[in-house]
Amino acid sequence: MRTRQAVATGVAVGLLLAAAPILAHHAFSAEFDINKPFKLRGTLTKWEMINPHSWFHLDVKDEGGTLVPWMIEGGSPNQLMKQGVTKNSLAAGTELVIEGYQAKDGTNKGVGRNLVLADGRRLFIGSNEK
Amino acid sequence: MSHRCLVPASGFALAAAVVWLSTIPAAGQARPAGARTTGSQATAYTAPRTPDGQPDLQGFWTNATYTPLERPKNVTKEFYTREEALEIAKRAASQEAEQTEPGTVADVHYDFTQFGLDKSQGAMALNLRTSLIVDPPEGRLPPLSAEGTRRAAERDAARKSRGGPHDAVQNEPLSARCIRMDRNGPPMLGGAYNNTYQIMQTPGQVMILTEMLHEARIVPLDGRPHLPPNVRQWAGSYRGHWEGQTLVIDTTNLTDKFAFQGASENMHLTERFTRVDAETIRYQFTVEDPSTWTRPWSAEVLWKKDIGPIFEHACHEGNYGLYNTLAGARAEEKRAAEEAAKKKSPK
Repeated sequence: MRTRQAVATGVAVGLLLAAAPILAHHAFSAEFDINKPFKLRGTLTKWEMINPHSWFHLDVKDEGGTLVPWMIEGGSPNQLMKQGVTKNSLAAGTELVIEGYQAKDGTNKGVGRNLVLADGRRLFIGSNEK
Repeated sequence: MSHRCLVPASGFALAAAVVWLSTIPAAGQARPAGARTTGSQATAYTAPRTPDGQPDLQGFWTNATYTPLERPKNVTKEFYTREEALEIAKRAASQEAEQTEPGTVADVHYDFTQFGLDKSQGAMALNLRTSLIVDPPEGRLPPLSAEGTRRAAERDAARKSRGGPHDAVQNEPLSARCIRMDRNGPPMLGGAYNNTYQIMQTPGQVMILTEMLHEARIVPLDGRPHLPPNVRQWAGSYRGHWEGQTLVIDTTNLTDKFAFQGASENMHLTERFTRVDAETIRYQFTVEDPSTWTRPWSAEVLWKKDIGPIFEHACHEGNYGLYNTLAGARAEEKRAAEEAAKKKSPK
């Protein structure tokens, strides 16, 4: 079973250079740690629909069963709102599975690479109906 | 098997993109190859009028495009065929959908497809041009003048003298500090996402609101003179007038802090907005800055009708990323210092 950690440590430098550049608001690799990939399952407590990035607040159970709050950075909310994804359609209490990378400062913050509902459905699927 | 494989995200987005791309018209392109930016091009379309008789540019628009500013070096023609343009857009959409390999630096990011941010999930005009630059005819920026070359070197040296990119908040790019984006310009060029604008008109003014970073240019149409030369602004001094169906905005008094494509504060910008059909505005601009380039240059972007309203882009209020980036850099320094100390005195 291939884990993200294994991929992270085994990746060749050439592949890093070949990766497509993403023109975004800020340097994610400065904010988040490529060596700290995570997969969290938690319950949404708050969705900050703010620019330049949305932030998902989750309660995640640690190994001892204690609920630990996490903050996950995602894309800006503008396009989601245009496509009908709102605080109502993604309500507090929703269970999410999030893959991403943890903040370099070691706090419980991360970037949400993939956000999936607990039943495996994507948070958002593209729609071209206009 | 990685978790990501459980969800056929990129496959779906790609399929959706193909369907979508096959439905978009090649707006504003029914004119002869080689046509230049003149601002007076005849168009068969007559724009509706506002109550006071101006051509109506009002509404929500997007300048999202896959067309690069400069023509790729291996391309020699000015226009693609419709089939070629569709194929290129399809390929670009699939690359956005697939994004990156797990464990790569570029993967340390959110997936555009999951937030509706890849261009295939929004409105976009299909541009048959091989570059946004239409003049010089080779579709690339003209050579730098001697002064432009010298200034570029000076700016580079000044940047290096300030230290690393994350050493101080002032070293972070204007975009990360919520000060200026390519979408603002001027001139206004699209970026990876959030390329939405709103235009409103009153009898004496045109307002252009840029979604990212929520800036309104309120352009007077009454023929008033430009601001005094000592007044310098991010968006400069802008004055508008109509030439037939085309809104022309003349901009001076810029600052060298933004330095569009390396320009100086002396840059003189002329923007032209012409509605070429119900769904499309042709946005053309000409940059004149002899202290940077050996000749003026011009570009053309198609703006497509979009849906509103624009969501507020209160960038500073939500800019946790700036703090996190600096905190990340400090954590890295601390870790490096601890490792160095460990090597120095191994137990």
